[in-house]
Amino acid sequence: MSEHTEHTGDDHGHSGSAHGSGAHHELTDSLRLNKADLGLSTKAFAVGGIALGLAVVLGGGPFGKQFQHSYLTAYMWGFSIALGALWWVTLQHLVNARWSIVVRRLAELMAQGVVPMAILSLPLLVPVLTHNDTLFSWLDHEKLHHARSKEVYLNPSFFIARMAFYFVFFIGLAAFWLKKSREQEKGGGVELTKRLQSTSAPTMIVLALTITFCAIDFLMTLDPIWFSTIFGVYYFTTCVLTFHSTLALFAMWLQKKGHVTSAVTTEHYHDIGKMMFAFIAFWTYIGFSQFMLIWYANIPEETHWFKDRLEGSWLPASLILAATHFVIPFFGMMSREIKRNKTTLRFWAIWILVVCWFDMYWLVAPNLHKHGMAIGATDILSWIGVAGLLMGYVLLRAKDTTLIPTGDPRLGRSLSFQNI
Amino acid sequence: MSDSEQTSNSAAPLYGVLAEYDTPTALVKAARKVRDAGYRRWDTYTPFPIHGIEKDMGITMTKLPWFVLVMALVGMATGTLFQYWTNGIDYRWLISGKPFWSWPANIPIIFEMTILFSAFGALGGMLFLNNLPLPSHPLDLKERFRRASDDKFFLVVEASDSKFDDKETRDLLGGTAPVVLEDVLEDRITSSVVPRALMYSMVILGAASLVPFALFAQSRSAKSREGRLHVVWDMDFTPAYKAQEGNILFGDQRAMRAPPLGTIAQGHLEEDDHMFTGKVGDSYAIGLPSSITATEATMLQGKQQFGIYCAPCHGLGGEGNGMVNERASTLKQGWVPPSNLHQQYIKEQPAGQLFGTITNGIRNMPGYAAQIDPDERWAIVLYLRALQKSRAASVDELSDADRAQLK
Repeated sequence: MSEHTEHTGDDHGHSGSAHGSGAHHELTDSLRLNKADLGLSTKAFAVGGIALGLAVVLGGGPFGKQFQHSYLTAYMWGFSIALGALWWVTLQHLVNARWSIVVRRLAELMAQGVVPMAILSLPLLVPVLTHNDTLFSWLDHEKLHHARSKEVYLNPSFFIARMAFYFVFFIGLAAFWLKKSREQEKGGGVELTKRLQSTSAPTMIVLALTITFCAIDFLMTLDPIWFSTIFGVYYFTTCVLTFHSTLALFAMWLQKKGHVTSAVTTEHYHDIGKMMFAFIAFWTYIGFSQFMLIWYANIPEETHWFKDRLEGSWLPASLILAATHFVIPFFGMMSREIKRNKTTLRFWAIWILVVCWFDMYWLVAPNLHKHGMAIGATDILSWIGVAGLLMGYVLLRAKDTTLIPTGDPRLGRSLSFQNI
Repeated sequence: MSDSEQTSNSAAPLYGVLAEYDTPTALVKAARKVRDAGYRRWDTYTPFPIHGIEKDMGITMTKLPWFVLVMALVGMATGTLFQYWTNGIDYRWLISGKPFWSWPANIPIIFEMTILFSAFGALGGMLFLNNLPLPSHPLDLKERFRRASDDKFFLVVEASDSKFDDKETRDLLGGTAPVVLEDVLEDRITSSVVPRALMYSMVILGAASLVPFALFAQSRSAKSREGRLHVVWDMDFTPAYKAQEGNILFGDQRAMRAPPLGTIAQGHLEEDDHMFTGKVGDSYAIGLPSSITATEATMLQGKQQFGIYCAPCHGLGGEGNGMVNERASTLKQGWVPPSNLHQQYIKEQPAGQLFGTITNGIRNMPGYAAQIDPDERWAIVLYLRALQKSRAASVDELSDADRAQLK
């Protein structure tokens, strides 16, 4: 940090952006993980691997019906964190955000999670290649007969081609943002930063479309008859929620381990908390919009999806989802003090991560357990498995970089950031 | 401000002491001193917002969020109860078979009302907490103070503060290195009440805004010989002719123009007499038209259409015992029962005649040309033939499997 800041500080063209409102901040925090911290990565890999192995055994083998559904639930939950991070980094460049620079590197690292997610997608994609309709019933032509016209879209080769495109794009973009962010440290300065802003605009359009279709392909096609045009946005809200919750927990963990102690302040946590709160409301807005239009129009091919979720023990499950994903966190997170207090913010971050998993479960499981909710060991073990492997990989990637993008010309603004 | 004005105010009591600074840093330092000295009634004035100065001034968190929360809940309750009352009690109207009070349909309005009331709460609460509107303020009379919106930074301690002391307070502010330290006198010139003209115009506007509601209420309760008000004249009286109106421009004085003789709409060319009338020449056709083939699909289509249109009267088996017949017979109101379709004379009718009967009706039975497409009518004929056959087939005509089942 020091060398570069001194340089920009002397340079008149840059000095404005490197300073806050009058105060000049020196960054003296620990900015690198040490060996002891990386032990968590190993542990996470081990726990995740064992949990996933047990889930395969308990769930009836890698292509067993129970395992496939439990795994998809866990997979989409983990994927949402990486996708949320990817979206968020793109957004920060797009809007020329200043407050967020001190935590942007953490998000850049979390976005690298798309790499393990690409590998972890194999258990879901192999059945598609082998026309095994355990999970996706559209692979069986007989079951698709009500929606024959969808064959143009729902066929194994096009499905796999789309997946290939998504993952190439996601991995490429995640690598691109991290690489450019590190180039800033070598002295790209303002010019590079401006270029990244221009890049982020078209990128955001492609990202919006890929996340949307990714959600449609992985989740909506579980029921090949049903369709909802807002479904991509619904999954996107989960991405934003799980990402911000994980970001808050990541930063808290780093500070506990003695890193970035003065750089990340209450002000940054407050903003992360605001995003969590806002997207709690946005999730409800989107989820209810989806429900209300379908409920009002009452067309059989749309209504059956909700009917599945409002009968038997799925009715209390849906009500619990509405309460835990909206009413309780909405009123619980409303106060400014709660978002500015690390203990309460940590509580709500964990809460959101859990209810977002339950939301994924609510999307996937009725496809298997038509007659009632049944959360089992396979569901929980798959969840731990995906979470462990994702966490292990992200921490491993954090090894070779600083934890703050010290080369960003807006860093000073972020360090001195104050909520009004 | 003229000299005479200042002179006339010179006898006014002390409002407070004003300190002027050149830089925000000096102001912030002074603010911390005043805060630590324990003063309550004082304020700072700056040309631009200084982030974090509220901490230096010891200002605690605003109560405004509570105003917003309470108003939001009031808005939510208003939206819920009002829609419950209108939909569920006052004006019950069945919409697409849903319960009179269907809460999901109310959520958007409840949401909007919550937002609207929150905004009112935020605006009203902000004005209330800031003592606004404030028609006059002693600082308005200070020529020097005008630069608070330009390039100077001010701190004013009010004389009404319980800690205020003529000497001590001046010493305290003097120790913060102000550029200028001056007294501010109470404003005895500007009226502290809201100007009359503004009050009156607000009252008049308020009253005028009630006029439309009064008119609505009046017209709801009173009878009138006048026609209704036409607010949008063009839409109520369009120059375009409507269906069934007269138009003297045409010889037949009809606004609706008949298509020229022999005109056929696209897709309505019905050349095949067999297909569309059931006749070949003057006599009824014996078999199906060439475009209809006796397949499993046609048979199923016929079964479905028969079940929809024929079975209510003729019965699912065609014996003339459908539910309509059963009910009508018990009512004994001169009901002509539908025919049993297994009667010999109907079995002997050619296919074209059956088609004609479905198309044009017979005796009490209306024609179904408007409801059932020609190909579907032929499918019904095919199904009917199968029904008739099912009551009269001999054992020899059955397949081996069916015969085995009978044994």
